[in-house]
Amino acid sequence: MAKLYAQTVPPPDMNKNTEWFMYPGVWTIYILFLFFSWLIVLSIFGCNPGMAWTLVNLFHSVITYYFFHWKKGTPFAEDQGMYNNLTWWEQIDNGKQLTRNRKFLTVVPVVLYLIASHTTDYQNPCLFLNTFAVIVLVIAKLPNMHKVRIFGINAD
Amino acid sequence: MVRLPYFTALTTLFSYGLLFAFGQMRDLFRKILDLPKSKKVQGYAPICLGLEDFYTRRLFLRAQDCFGRPIASAPDAWIDVVERYSNDNNKTLHRTSNITKCLNLGSYNYLGFAAADEYCTPRVIESLKQYSPGTCSVRVDGGTTKLHTELEELAARFVGKPAAILFGMGYVTNSAIIPALIAKGGLIISDSLNHNSIVNGARGSGATVRVFQHNTPSHLEEVLREQIAEGQPRTHRPWKKIIVIVEGIYSMEGELCKLPEIIAVCKKYKAYTYLDEAHSIGAIGKTGRGVCELLGVDPADVDIMMGTFTKSFGSCGGYIAASKEIIQYLKHTCPAHLYGTSMSPPAVQQVISAIKVILGEDGSNRGAQKLAQIRDNSNFFRAELHKMGFEVLGDEDSPVMPIMLYNPAKIPAFSRECLKQNVAVVTVAFPATPLLLARARICISASHSREDLMRGLEVLSKVGDLVGIKYFPVESENSHAEAKLKKLD
Repeated sequence: MAKLYAQTVPPPDMNKNTEWFMYPGVWTIYILFLFFSWLIVLSIFGCNPGMAWTLVNLFHSVITYYFFHWKKGTPFAEDQGMYNNLTWWEQIDNGKQLTRNRKFLTVVPVVLYLIASHTTDYQNPCLFLNTFAVIVLVIAKLPNMHKVRIFGINAD
Repeated sequence: MVRLPYFTALTTLFSYGLLFAFGQMRDLFRKILDLPKSKKVQGYAPICLGLEDFYTRRLFLRAQDCFGRPIASAPDAWIDVVERYSNDNNKTLHRTSNITKCLNLGSYNYLGFAAADEYCTPRVIESLKQYSPGTCSVRVDGGTTKLHTELEELAARFVGKPAAILFGMGYVTNSAIIPALIAKGGLIISDSLNHNSIVNGARGSGATVRVFQHNTPSHLEEVLREQIAEGQPRTHRPWKKIIVIVEGIYSMEGELCKLPEIIAVCKKYKAYTYLDEAHSIGAIGKTGRGVCELLGVDPADVDIMMGTFTKSFGSCGGYIAASKEIIQYLKHTCPAHLYGTSMSPPAVQQVISAIKVILGEDGSNRGAQKLAQIRDNSNFFRAELHKMGFEVLGDEDSPVMPIMLYNPAKIPAFSRECLKQNVAVVTVAFPATPLLLARARICISASHSREDLMRGLEVLSKVGDLVGIKYFPVESENSHAEAKLKKLD
């Protein structure tokens, strides 16, 4: 790879848990990681490509749901618990809605869903699971769901 | 402004992702394996909320031997580092009685006062015999000796302000003064890369805190305009006062603050300025008076100037220099002055002697020599590192130069390799720096001789090749080869 340089200024985001997301290269590594995990799933399970995309989609949904919308707070104690009631999704970009990062993160599960359902030819057991996953994730990321806890699940 | 190769950004993110995934898996297994044990302490609340100490347990402890190394001598140009070993993969470290003599590239010993000095040390020992190590009292009770008053006057004269007040600890100077100066209803605008002491002081004061982009006077103006127009949160009343806090040299970047532009913006909007010169006092400027002298700013334009004695003067404690009224007010209200024990008298004498050497009042020109030496050393070292292809931050004349590492695995690799070759460096990672921008911070001292610097450069070059941190193309080889070709013609 030719020596591409990226220039960056440290962003004025005081929350060290989310500020790493504003640096160059994060979107690329996310997409590359999904692609490589598809290749790894194909080599481990030896299934057809559609099934592999479904598996990637489901693992991705479970992992991102857990880390973005379930785990609250920050993994270090320096901020003295300021963000202890906020999930990672609610913390990024300082709580501002509809920023570029948020739009990107909302589009990724939808694109994964489209790829997974296309490569499985919209067959039924996979289609149901994929659709359920994408609906849960997209609803969790809507701006109206900021700080909403349905039925008190995961509240404090 | 850092430039990093795109590939490095990708690999750094990937490494952190991998470390995070492994950490989470280990936590999961720990939870499963600890299920039988949890019965014993039922009813008690946990000390840490689950995720809070994740970074310390799973990332920091892996590389713990690179931080907190015990030393066995004064932090001069060469320092004795105590060796440690670990039997359980760095979770606990044990000291041995072996000592390695290493080149010291990590101490803030800018002017070389950390080791025994021919003018300072005899006077310090004399004051130790006369005043004893501790005053055993608070400044307002029985803790103000002649030395304390002398140092307050001398510090004020050195910096160029009418009066000054001393504190026993540098960190406390910021975190106890800011709450005394501003309270709820005021606004603090601080640089986004300010030191933790300022952040703590700002949080403890109860005032509203806003952050502006590092060293960008235009963004500061934007934030000021927005905040003045909006007023206090919810009531929208005008702010009681506005303080803008900046630092002289930012210790993690090595760069100078754009002081003239920031002062101009603050004057335009009538905000007070607070300048933290912890790293720049005594180290830069023609006579060592800090960033104001270097950038040509009149000290009367900065409202409050803070500094510490721990870096260039080889002692402990800090000071605040401001107008007589502010210092008088602080002496009556600041809790660190009213309830904290006063500075140790030998430490005060060390600062007095160090300032006298810098000003040349000891009768020699050692002060001017030291200042010229540190300037030459810093510029030489920085130029050589640039030529070798390292990414070095910091401005000209600044004795602090961070070398960018980025990748989390390179931090312990760089540190351990340098220690093997007898060079002691300080590596800094998250959370003192942003997550992706881990670095090794080199602090140059006036007590480093040219040979020391050459040895340091040699080791850094070898280790840099091994670890792979020469992100920029090597400069001098091509130009030398071309020059040779031209000569042959």
